Amino acid sequence: MLRPRDIRRHSRGSHFIVQNTPLLLAVILLIATLLFYVGLFFTSLGRFPGNFEITSTINGAMPLILSATGQTVVFLSRGIDLSVGGMVDLTNSLAATRMGDNPISMALWSFVILLVGAAGGLINGLLVTLGRLQPILVTLATLSIFQGIAIKVLPQPGGKVPVAYTAFLTNPEHPWALVFVMLFIFLWFIFRRTPFGVAVYAIGNDEEAARANGIHVTRTRVGAYVVGGILAAAAGLFLAATTTSGDATAGDSYTLTSIAAAFLGGTTIFGGRGSALGSIAGALVLSIIISVLFFAGINQLYEAFYQGMFLVVAVALSMLLGRFFGRKRR
Amino acid sequence: MLLFIIGAIVRPSFIAPNSVKSVLVVASFVGFVATGQAFVILIGGIDLSVPWVLNASAILLVTSSLGQDDRAIQAVLLCLGLGLLVGLINGLGIVFLSVPAVVMTLGVNGIMQGLTLGLSKGFTCRSCSANSPPVVSSAVGGNLLGIPADLYIWFGIVLLVTFVLGFTSFGRKVYAVGNNTRASYLAGVNVNFVTVALYMLSGLFAAFTGIALVGYSGSPSLGIGDPYLFQSIAAVVIGGVSILGGRGNYLGVVAGSISLVALISVLQIMNIPDYGRSILYGVVVILILLLYGREERET
Repeated sequence: MLRPRDIRRHSRGSHFIVQNTPLLLAVILLIATLLFYVGLFFTSLGRFPGNFEITSTINGAMPLILSATGQTVVFLSRGIDLSVGGMVDLTNSLAATRMGDNPISMALWSFVILLVGAAGGLINGLLVTLGRLQPILVTLATLSIFQGIAIKVLPQPGGKVPVAYTAFLTNPEHPWALVFVMLFIFLWFIFRRTPFGVAVYAIGNDEEAARANGIHVTRTRVGAYVVGGILAAAAGLFLAATTTSGDATAGDSYTLTSIAAAFLGGTTIFGGRGSALGSIAGALVLSIIISVLFFAGINQLYEAFYQGMFLVVAVALSMLLGRFFGRKRR
Repeated sequence: MLLFIIGAIVRPSFIAPNSVKSVLVVASFVGFVATGQAFVILIGGIDLSVPWVLNASAILLVTSSLGQDDRAIQAVLLCLGLGLLVGLINGLGIVFLSVPAVVMTLGVNGIMQGLTLGLSKGFTCRSCSANSPPVVSSAVGGNLLGIPADLYIWFGIVLLVTFVLGFTSFGRKVYAVGNNTRASYLAGVNVNFVTVALYMLSGLFAAFTGIALVGYSGSPSLGIGDPYLFQSIAAVVIGGVSILGGRGNYLGVVAGSISLVALISVLQIMNIPDYGRSILYGVVVILILLLYGREERET
């Protein structure tokens, strides 16, 4: 006869480890990369990276952090958003051409641009749910559409972003970037506890069960794409602020890097698992690698090689570790 | 699908044999890549490493052959070997490390990109006679009975792949794995072997496309493979292959490649500026998908 205490239970600690292996791995990876970065920085310049370096690194990573988090929310709902790059292109071009010099028009346009992101996400979401199309195909097509509109808005690289805007969003003199990241993490914890956040995780884990529990699956899924679009738009704004000008193709790479960052952070494509924290760590890792390579004196052309290597090794490792812990559990 | 091609041909000046031929030749490159892509999509996978495998092969061809005919065969074999090797790595990672296909091939694409850029120093080796060997060029770009040789190759591949998928036990295993991996494993199909083999085929076809493209245009360039990722996926899916695996046939993929390229060339002929083409391309793909690619309601 089975008595309750015969059922093996995990201590809270080991349960946490089993549940969060990928996230822990991402954090460990981030710490390792950081140490490596600081070490190389110290040996080549003879001092530790100061506020300026840290802030500008985070500033540079900000678009990736935002777009990767957007990608994460879509992943959680068991989707994928390939149009992220096009949305970053479009919003980046809009920011570089439309923003006036006075604060009111800046704020207004920032808001409009976020709305554009939401609208793009809404189109993706509606086509996926009501159109019953595969997410990968829908967003592939909208990627092309967004890229086209971006080129229409800004045919040649150029335009300019007001200095005040750059100073506000990405000022390397003051640690605003850290504040933004903290604020963002705080917002994530709120999101995680809202009914919508819970619903996104629920449909990612088991759509039928979620529906049976009264979750509006269609609305939640569309919502996930809308959030993804808004965050991609925010990434475009930050990109414009850091580069101080616009380029209708500058955002293209974010499609693949946002996916890579989300994966590095332990979010799976099968939905329901992962968090923004992991993606933020993943995005930082991918960005810091570039600085590490720079200080290590490795040719920039090999950049993609190391990013790819990191991605494959990290995911393979987390899979193997997950299997290891999973077996131990039984 | 036919309707769509006819609609494209209705445009005047589009029916001229020469333009039809050039559309078909361009379509054949998409078709080659899409062949490999179709294989992995049939088992519910995806190969995102296509662009830089293609590019690496294109550059390897000219750097190893140095544009000389007597080195051409070794160079071509080397390139195809490269494709097979990358496919093997993809397949092994997916099967034995259980890395999701999207991640594995995405990472490998980055690795290939870094290696290609790094080893070629970012140049396409313009100083060291960066031309394809004439033999390769004539094998791809030459004419036979007024039809580009390239199209014969494609036709051969179409026959071969249709035969393999439709009439061999390997083909049946591919569909079986795509439909239900577990059931086919229990039925005695060596799932791991089939998966690895298909990724190797995908790598092979990507490398082959690289050779064909260089042979056709004479010299490689960096970024030559980039458009082929999305086009190959789009062609496969427009051709009616289910992205979830297990359904679809190769002739559909051929039609998909042709109609996709026809669409692009129609837009070019109509003098629509770049941005408009990009937008229309997306809109038309969505419309086609809405017509053909909808999933059946499962519940």
